[in-house]
Amino acid sequence: MKKLIALLLALAMVLALAACGNSGSSTGAGTSAEGGDKPAQIEKIRIYVPTSGKYDDIDAVMEKVNEITREKIAVEVEFVPFQFGQWFGQYSLFLSGTEDVDILVNYGGFLNAYSQGACYDLTDLIQQYGQDIIAMEGDYLKGGVIDGRQYALPIYAVYSWNMGIIYRQDVVEELGLQDQVAAVKTIEDWEPILAAVKEAKPDMTPFVTSSGSTAPNFQYGTWDDLGNKYGVLMNGGETSEVVNLFETEEYARLCNVMHDWNVKGYSSKDIQTQTDGFTVLTQSDAAFCTLGQVDFNTPFYQSTTIGKPINVVQLAPAVGRTYNNVTYIVMSNTKHPEAAMKFLNLWFSDIEVGNLIKYGIEGTHYQVNADGMAEYLPGQDANSCTYHIGASISNVNSIRWNTENPDYAQLLIDSNTNSPKSVALGFAFNTENVTNEITQLDNVCAKYQIGLESGAMDPATALPEFIQALKDAGIEKVIAEKQAQLDAFLGK
Amino acid sequence: MQKKSSLMKKLKKYWPFYFLALPGLIYFFINNYIPMGGLILAFEKYTVSGGIFGSKKIGFQNFKFLFSNADAWIMTRNTLLYNIVFILLGLVISILTAYFLHELKSNMSRKFYQTVILFPSLLSIIIVSYLANALLAGDTGFINNHILLPLGLEPISFYSEKKWWPFILVFVHFWQMTGTSCILYLANMSAIDPSLYEAASMDGATRWQSFFNITIPCLVPTIITLTILAVGKIFNSDFGLFYQVPMNSGAIIDVTQTIDTYVYRGLMNTANLGMSAAACFYQSVVGFCLVMITNSMVRRISSENAMF
Repeated sequence: MKKLIALLLALAMVLALAACGNSGSSTGAGTSAEGGDKPAQIEKIRIYVPTSGKYDDIDAVMEKVNEITREKIAVEVEFVPFQFGQWFGQYSLFLSGTEDVDILVNYGGFLNAYSQGACYDLTDLIQQYGQDIIAMEGDYLKGGVIDGRQYALPIYAVYSWNMGIIYRQDVVEELGLQDQVAAVKTIEDWEPILAAVKEAKPDMTPFVTSSGSTAPNFQYGTWDDLGNKYGVLMNGGETSEVVNLFETEEYARLCNVMHDWNVKGYSSKDIQTQTDGFTVLTQSDAAFCTLGQVDFNTPFYQSTTIGKPINVVQLAPAVGRTYNNVTYIVMSNTKHPEAAMKFLNLWFSDIEVGNLIKYGIEGTHYQVNADGMAEYLPGQDANSCTYHIGASISNVNSIRWNTENPDYAQLLIDSNTNSPKSVALGFAFNTENVTNEITQLDNVCAKYQIGLESGAMDPATALPEFIQALKDAGIEKVIAEKQAQLDAFLGK
Repeated sequence: MQKKSSLMKKLKKYWPFYFLALPGLIYFFINNYIPMGGLILAFEKYTVSGGIFGSKKIGFQNFKFLFSNADAWIMTRNTLLYNIVFILLGLVISILTAYFLHELKSNMSRKFYQTVILFPSLLSIIIVSYLANALLAGDTGFINNHILLPLGLEPISFYSEKKWWPFILVFVHFWQMTGTSCILYLANMSAIDPSLYEAASMDGATRWQSFFNITIPCLVPTIITLTILAVGKIFNSDFGLFYQVPMNSGAIIDVTQTIDTYVYRGLMNTANLGMSAAACFYQSVVGFCLVMITNSMVRRISSENAMF
């Protein structure tokens, strides 16, 4: 009997040890299998990306991609796609470095990744293997630099934009308001339009927020927010003086307008808890306009996304700025930094690789129509096509999909190259010294920001409280830190 | 030595039971004990290259954000008060509900009511939050448009007025959780020897008398165990209830902020592993101390009812 118990206990021990051994060694096992026993061999790297599309056929597509990459850069790549919802739930985990992954994409900036030490220093590698990226991105590449070192690669996307009103063109035409709309210069001028819409269309909410209560209404402001909202450069970064956005006249003015609209019933009483944004609401004709990020392509993009004619009023001219929303990083614990950099460069510049990763295999997952644009095969659509992850490192490294603006690539390059740029272009704020303050500030903002910016709270009482709470939480320390870093960045 | 041999004796005598418990023990060891090593994160500035055990040790700095501001008091007060209400009121509500269900003669109707009461706990908190929203919303809400308006009363803007939320949250909590929390009591009640009730009614006891003198005393061990367990979680809160049901509305944050929502709001954007670990460490340590204290108090009053 004793023997049996001893046996069982031993078994339990072994099981437990085996279980913890597994979880601990998975990364090690992965890398040694790919490892450096034969350095001249083809290196394998792995990339995690989020997608809203299908990826059933990913193995076949990757085989095609690898045919190219093996030949050109002696690298084999494996993409691991995740659904967006799952991605945002697991991103922090990916960052913690426990997964066997070499390249990670970051939504909402790479500063978290940097502060956890997850970013491989690419400064030298990019000079060596990333010349195509350098040539294309120019100044915008600085969006991945901290303290003079390149830690991330910003994707080539729209960097030049400003705050604007996004509205339903067909409603304006129906009510004959074109001339009035054309005369709108400031946000205050917009009120008569709202009044007219409210009267003519009782079922339509004249003003809604662009992404519901999940994001502040002034997320895309006329100011350069320098990576986070605590300390901004006003007027798109005209001067390098970092100011407290929430104390500016501009901010108070916007809050007042929003509150005024809310009181007059142009926006919903429930605006601060309304989770649906403009895109969703306007698809069911429930909304007329919103405030948001406006660039050269917004009318086209919104019209095709929503399926209704959309137009915009720019409240200020577009300004090029660091909007480090989407970047790629190489994980600091990678065993294959060179291979990763080589692949990123190839993906960035090679239209064949770009098309494959984005749309799949021509003839199987998409076809090219007479205008040279990609489209689904006859009889297929977004649901039945077995590969369409849409992920990309550049918005110009592939042919265009048939719903896109045919001239998009050239317009994008023109817009990024020709518009005025913020003085802080490329500045990234290192929050390491002010983590405690930012934690508290985020909580203060959770209390006031959405309410104020949506117009549900009265700025007369809430704004001074908000400003005081921010001060108590240490916003001035964060701003001073930001100013010091910015001055150092500008070489002052 | 004496102790060891008595353990061996026990093992020998009851080995089938230990054998049955083995999968559970292994599970707990893997799932609950091994990860405790990660608590070291609370004292580190975590970096990927350093890993869990190699990162820089920074002492108690990660804990600072929990205490160094005006909100610290508010969130601690909310967490404690809501939990105290949930524990005390929960006792009354779930025992009464269990008793009512138990007293139903017809099996059919007992099953029916139990299912109805249990159903909300199967709903995702997101759905619950929208059910609450359907009642409370300003533009479309049932209370404002179909109760207050026809009565000629002023509509209430629930999501911006603090005073309603303590009641709404307590109501939603019990609406959702009573079904599950009364199950244990119900099971216990059916295990009470019916001859006790028969004897009591022979002696002319009323229903309430037999409830207070038979049912409650028989439930005392369960009540104490469940209460001690609940006290251990007094610094934790149901994140969904306090974040989703108020629809993350800022204006009412003073009465809906708990430690969990504060940590979420503060660290969602910074994803700082060290600080999140510090918050959990703090909650667990305080919870552990409270369990020990409560248990020793119970032991002093009536030692046979203490958990250990």
